[in-house]
Amino acid sequence: MSMTLRHHPVLGGKAALRLKDVTLEALPEGHVLQLLAAAPEAGPGLRERIGDSDLRPLAPGQWLLIGNAPLTPEDLTGLEERLKPVADIVDQSHGRVRIALSGPAARAVLAKGTAVNLDAAAFPVGHAAQTLIGHIGAHLARTGEDSFELTVLRGFAESLWDDLAQMAAEFA
Amino acid sequence: MTSYRLSQGGLIDRARPLSFSFDGKPMSGFAGDSLASALLANGQRLMGRSFKYHRPRGVLTAGAAEPNALMTIGKGGRTEPNTRATLQELYDGLTARSQNRWPSLDFDIGALNGLLSPFLSAGFYYKTFMWPAAFWEKLYEPFIRKAAGLGEAAKESDPDSFEKCWAHCDLLVIGAGATGLAAALTAGRAGARVILVDEQAELGGSLLSETATIGGVPAAQFAREATAELEALPNVRTLARTTAFGRYDGNVFGAVERVQKHVATPQVGRPVERLWRIVAGRALLATGAEERPLVFGGNDIPGVMMAGAARSYLNRTAVAPARQMAIFTTNDSGYALARDLEACGVALTAIIDSRPEGAAPGLYKGQARILTDALVRDAHGGKSLSAITIARQGRTETLRLDGLAVSGGFSPVIHLACHRGDKPVWSDAQGAFLAEDRKGLALAGAAAGLSGLAACYEAGARKAVALLDQLGIAATAGSVPTVEGDIVAPATKPLWSIPGIRGKAFIDFQNDVHRADLALAVREGYAHVELAKRYTTNGMATDQGKLSNVNAIGLLAEARGVSPAEVGTTTFRPFYTPVSFGALAGSSHGKHFQPVRQSPLHGWAKKNGARFVETGLWYRSAWFPRTGETTWRESVDREVRTVREAAGLCDVSMLGKIEITGKDAALFLDRVYCNGFANLPVGKARYGLMLREDGFIYDDGTTSRLAEDRFFMTTTTAYAAGVLNHLEFCAQALWPELDVRLASVTDQWAQMAIAGPLARTILQEIVDEDISNEAFPFLGARAVSLFNGALKGRLFRISFSGELAYELAVPAGYGESVADALMEIGKPKGLCAYGVEALSVLRIEKGHVTHNEINGTVVPADLGFGRMVSAKKADFIGKHMLAREGLTAGNRHQLVGVVPLDPAASFRTGAHILAKGAAATLENSLGHVSSSCYSPHVGSTIGLALVRAGSSRHGEEVMIWNGLRGEYTPGRLCDPVFIDPENAKLKI
Repeated sequence: MSMTLRHHPVLGGKAALRLKDVTLEALPEGHVLQLLAAAPEAGPGLRERIGDSDLRPLAPGQWLLIGNAPLTPEDLTGLEERLKPVADIVDQSHGRVRIALSGPAARAVLAKGTAVNLDAAAFPVGHAAQTLIGHIGAHLARTGEDSFELTVLRGFAESLWDDLAQMAAEFA
Repeated sequence: MTSYRLSQGGLIDRARPLSFSFDGKPMSGFAGDSLASALLANGQRLMGRSFKYHRPRGVLTAGAAEPNALMTIGKGGRTEPNTRATLQELYDGLTARSQNRWPSLDFDIGALNGLLSPFLSAGFYYKTFMWPAAFWEKLYEPFIRKAAGLGEAAKESDPDSFEKCWAHCDLLVIGAGATGLAAALTAGRAGARVILVDEQAELGGSLLSETATIGGVPAAQFAREATAELEALPNVRTLARTTAFGRYDGNVFGAVERVQKHVATPQVGRPVERLWRIVAGRALLATGAEERPLVFGGNDIPGVMMAGAARSYLNRTAVAPARQMAIFTTNDSGYALARDLEACGVALTAIIDSRPEGAAPGLYKGQARILTDALVRDAHGGKSLSAITIARQGRTETLRLDGLAVSGGFSPVIHLACHRGDKPVWSDAQGAFLAEDRKGLALAGAAAGLSGLAACYEAGARKAVALLDQLGIAATAGSVPTVEGDIVAPATKPLWSIPGIRGKAFIDFQNDVHRADLALAVREGYAHVELAKRYTTNGMATDQGKLSNVNAIGLLAEARGVSPAEVGTTTFRPFYTPVSFGALAGSSHGKHFQPVRQSPLHGWAKKNGARFVETGLWYRSAWFPRTGETTWRESVDREVRTVREAAGLCDVSMLGKIEITGKDAALFLDRVYCNGFANLPVGKARYGLMLREDGFIYDDGTTSRLAEDRFFMTTTTAYAAGVLNHLEFCAQALWPELDVRLASVTDQWAQMAIAGPLARTILQEIVDEDISNEAFPFLGARAVSLFNGALKGRLFRISFSGELAYELAVPAGYGESVADALMEIGKPKGLCAYGVEALSVLRIEKGHVTHNEINGTVVPADLGFGRMVSAKKADFIGKHMLAREGLTAGNRHQLVGVVPLDPAASFRTGAHILAKGAAATLENSLGHVSSSCYSPHVGSTIGLALVRAGSSRHGEEVMIWNGLRGEYTPGRLCDPVFIDPENAKLKI
């Protein structure tokens, strides 16, 4: 039977929060793929196979491959073929939700949640870490001098959004 | 009026007057005043009543160690008791109230305790209120707590917000006096990342109370210029009003910043306090030294004050502490006050110097009479000092005056250096306890026993260079600016006991411990420093003995005839000063108390009218009431019947889901489960039992093989994180040689159970593949295409209810839409939404276990799973311990069903099972009811129970006994499967 299938982005109802010194934005639920390699040193092999896609370190031998566009099952199968035997893919496109933080106060907002040292020397652009934002586990990546992305379990996305909004309040 | 404001001088802003009130009395001060200095300026020297004897007390210090001037500040939810008036900045409209007095500060009934003081010595409560024992909790303790104690907490909720924050630096400098500023300037100029914290409103420490000049400018101006330079450096963060309260593992320091405690109405959106966790590459304690009181009679009478504090009030806030002063000192620092008092025109009667030789020649050029080799024996007065008695060379002399400043030498503030277990070391040369530099931490300046601004500045810069060198950062100390007019006070021999005292000589002002209490502790065998502390309560007040501990140790040492080194100190622990609960809670209250974890089907459940129940952080749909249903039982019974007769849809998304890949995945599962998985065919699911090393069951769930090297495991909701941790441990630590890779996919899939005889008919409408019994038999598990290829999902033919059932997993973002579609298709056929309550009834009817049964005490055979345990596998976790005789004994608690003899009777989970006729005692308990519910299918309450040798007792009549409620229900043990024991329904 044919029915209208609707995708419900978990933060779909949240308009970007634009404060004076920081902006909080729910990113499109495109694709988040967890790459699991047999060995932690598989990184360079991965690069050869996927080019300059947005690949973020997650754990020894694990990466997140992230993009704004949703993948079709065919895209995914193709990617799986390309990555074999270096890495297996576990699709987390629906299980992980991304939130972007940007602006001169982005670091100060994040410092209220994470123990990660966000100094540019210690955590340069391109770096990523699995951390806690307050009580909520999240994957933190630096995407620019003053911009960061948080990747969080779908079930916690609303709570994290609410917490971040509170943490950002003083920068209004 | 004894204390008063000088007509000129100080760092206060006389152009900005502020009005405030104390005990309802309107007063005024200036910007730059502390509450204490403003009270003194208004002639208010009586500031509180003491803890035990309700003695009148005035302010003793000008800083964090203040034991007496504790007040309640603010109104309503912003009420804050026990605020140290010395640290509270004055703001316009501040309301302060004194504490521990009734009916008023001036006339306090509780002061009668003073007359009873011979009976209120140390240990008095313990000795007197011993008998009868029951009276302690009900009568004595409440009474004592009412009489003693400090301020009262507000009953309203706090309207302000608090938060926590992390910070990182190369060098953390604690204390912004001469030492700290020098260190921060040195490190900041070298480009290091520096954090400088200081508890005062303004950086500068003792420089703000100093009359010396540095580099040709007044010390306070030097401090302000240094602060301005530091604040202009992008690599330096200065935190005023911030107390570093603890040092923790990893060189992490806790600090609390009073962001908006100095304003009448805090700005919304900003916290009033911020709790910092500072990760320091290196830390320098430039925390200075605490001036020690001297233990003479009446040393607590308002008008007696520490000499350094008097100097601070005089120079920083232009307040004279009295009209006619004397100074009692053991060292040269008292002479700096003498000089400053005279410069301000305050009459100084005498300097009483305990040293026979007195001060260095030429140090003091003033007019006051100097009595060397002299001691103040007693101070006199009630609510205000009126005279002192001096003992000198066998004679006594009484001087009439209203102010006495005291200096008994200095105790370096070493608390933070000792928070991780390091013991302070007594130095005879310094007459003080010192801390040693440790990895990651050094002490400098007065905190390391130095005296003099130039020496402190030099040491601060030098130590900063050394600490940064350890991090590979090059810095240079630079030259020390010229200091003029500073009186350096070399350490002198401490003065512990003063002979011939008549009045009460206090050691711990806040807890009202006096010299006789300590003597009593020694006489009664509590001379060990840790015992004396607890016996007398010395050092146990909110000031944690900042002023009293060293004096107590000195007096104990004298009493025992040993060195203070041998007495040692009590243990230093965080917090250095009290920290509010608000700061510790941070933003975690109200809506932000804990995160909420929402299922992808939360929206679906909500619009179907679900009532939710918190399960960990998850909100699970518990039942779905319909119009006309008045109790939850009505809804649950209806949901259960509908599943058994038609079909139901339940959200099971919160079960843990783990994807396992890698070429050794099957072997890995064979080792973590007690039953076999290596032979599981692709496209099939299997129920698995995971044991702990000790053989008991850890968790259960189904695992499906999606491909040769890819499995999909489900866990219970409660153990989802624990199982993943366990698997990671096995993969990383136990068998690193296996190629196995793990990923939690709990949040990726919206998973719904569709159960009931019509489940297949309904599902087939959206599943593109044939799911007939032949094409998709029981325990089938496959990726499926949905909605004519619009979506890919995973279908599992598994059943928790005992009915024909499937679990359908779809990508979470589509969950709600798919569930909506199924409801729409199923509605004409009778499909209903069911919640976790109905789920529970259905599984109890089927005899399926959960963690109610898997409670850490059961092995597979106890639950009837004995044959699942593989005899063929070489090894699996728990295999060897499972063979212990205790785990194979026939009389173990085993799973049985239980029903009441009278179907109208009921019983509860947790009730004990007694043999028929046995007395109701715990010794006679055969086991307990682990799960129970009303079963619409059976028509009565049913239960699962763990009963001794239960599997051989089916049919036996028992008594179900709930001792807590006094309920007795005659019942019968039976097979735990109440429905379809042949599993025929699963295979249709």
